[in-house]
Amino acid sequence: MATEILLIDKDKGHAEALGVYLERQQFEVYKAGSPDDVLMLFDNLSVEIVLADPGLPDTDTVHLLKQIKKSHPGVQLIIMSADEQLDQAMDLLKQDVVHYLLKPVKSAALDLAVKQARTWIAMNKKVVRYEKEFKDLRNAQNLYQQLFNEVPCYISVQDREFRLTATNRMFKRDFGDEIGSYCYEVYKHRGSPCRNCPVAATFEDGLPHPTEEIVTSKSGKQYNVLTWTAPIRNSLGQVTQVMEMSTNITRLRQLQDHLTSLGLMIGSMSHGVKGMLTALDGGVYQLETGLARNDEQRTSKAFGQVKQMTGRIRNMVLEILYYAKSRELSYEPVDISKMVEKVLNNAKAIADKNGINLEASIANDLGAIEVDPNWMQAALVNFMENAVDACTYDRSKEDHAVKFDVFDPGGDRICFVIQDNGMGMDQETREKMFTLFFTSKGSQGTGLGLFIANRVIHQHGGTIKVESELQKGTRFKISLPRKKPEQPLRTDKPEKWANSLLDDSGKGST
Amino acid sequence: MKKILIVDDDPNIVDYLVTLFEDNGYATCSAGDVQEGLAAAKKEQPDLITLDLEMPGEWGPRFYRKMSEDKGLKNIPVIVITGFSESEHAVGKAVASLTKPFDREELLSIVKESLA
Repeated sequence: MATEILLIDKDKGHAEALGVYLERQQFEVYKAGSPDDVLMLFDNLSVEIVLADPGLPDTDTVHLLKQIKKSHPGVQLIIMSADEQLDQAMDLLKQDVVHYLLKPVKSAALDLAVKQARTWIAMNKKVVRYEKEFKDLRNAQNLYQQLFNEVPCYISVQDREFRLTATNRMFKRDFGDEIGSYCYEVYKHRGSPCRNCPVAATFEDGLPHPTEEIVTSKSGKQYNVLTWTAPIRNSLGQVTQVMEMSTNITRLRQLQDHLTSLGLMIGSMSHGVKGMLTALDGGVYQLETGLARNDEQRTSKAFGQVKQMTGRIRNMVLEILYYAKSRELSYEPVDISKMVEKVLNNAKAIADKNGINLEASIANDLGAIEVDPNWMQAALVNFMENAVDACTYDRSKEDHAVKFDVFDPGGDRICFVIQDNGMGMDQETREKMFTLFFTSKGSQGTGLGLFIANRVIHQHGGTIKVESELQKGTRFKISLPRKKPEQPLRTDKPEKWANSLLDDSGKGST
Repeated sequence: MKKILIVDDDPNIVDYLVTLFEDNGYATCSAGDVQEGLAAAKKEQPDLITLDLEMPGEWGPRFYRKMSEDKGLKNIPVIVITGFSESEHAVGKAVASLTKPFDREELLSIVKESLA
């Protein structure tokens, strides 16, 4: 499309000549005599350059030009003026003008002026485009920032040292605004990078890596998270940072814990189930062969058996469903000394077998406590077993001892302190030790023992304090109320578990 | 006719095995615990024994040990049929170990092979 030029010149002859010249150069030229013509033209055309003689000393045209410049800032003004009026024109129009020409206008000067005007127009257009792009970019950035913040995951961006360079809102809410801190400090309260770090793996191979982790929030809460990493590349395609997205699946895991315990319970019932299924097989077999042989006696006997087995299986399923629901602890007043004696007997057997010295100091006249004795003994034995194991696994010293103190600290509570001088725990182990299926004993542990023990203590309204130091040992201080807590706390584990924990002496169950 | 002694405390399963074996041309006798089983083995001199592991009182492995100490019985092949999933080693010399619920055809083919 040709550039449109508006020519304002009272000198008709001059205007005519210029018009011809410019039209020859492929410009669309419009000519205007009076200011009224000009405004009308502006409304209907897309004039980009105005070539005008201000016609001083009359200032009508100057006002008109100023008005145009105001309403169409993109329009470029070129002023042609007689030599003696040039200073005044410049004074009046100043920098609104891209070029001043002397009348009579020479073609070379005009060419240059028009060229310059067109350069300005092109630049203006670019600026307008950039402005729009910049605005779009800012909107997009805002959108992405918003998405980054609103995603219901913990998102962090990390450099090669695992330092946090950006975190989203959910991350800040649960782990604090910790830009510049190390990922392993913030997530795991560790002093050094974690083993099998998915971020490190992504830096290594540029691929996403999924893991599942247990992290500890700033308020000390533990979350199970499903973590996914993604590389962030620079314009050269090099991985400069890694984004880590962690979905909090704690509730899912809690549900899974529940299902797992149900599964374990079913496992313990499986022997019975298998017998029933075999008998059901037998019934079906006899029913089949009875029908095939037209043996009415066999058929009816078999039918009876199938019916009986179906009934038994039905009852067992109902029982499982009943167990699957939460069950209340069965509290009874228990003589503390007697309960402690039972716990000690169990623990002594384990300690003796492992050559660990067991020192018990039990206060006199401890009185009674309201607990579910099966569960409470199982829990206490489990703590003792863990103490023995911590000694057995510790190769840093020769002599090991487990101390068991029971005393009345007042306040209607009883304290059990289990202390060992075994291997101790680092902070990560300390934070994870009550988690289901967490074990520090490799294939020797199931990750069940302390999980259940912790739950039992809390269900009884008790508290557990843990102090531990690597190579030095661990001290568990359990404080239990003497009376059953007012709010009935529930357990969803069948007693069978408690018994098997007590029987399962040799193997550490954490 | 070859005779099979069934040692299992669950009468429904005994009944099942008796019917299954008799349908397939074997004679049977049965016992509900270890003592009964040993007495029946001595009296009936079976050609093969199926043995459950978990029974009230003494368990299957005890039966096997006592049976092995008896010259007249120690060469009778034993098939363990039990609810324990890892039972292969409970009775080391058993000709086979099947888990409940077992596969009928598998049992019959093992019996046939053992009695061949």
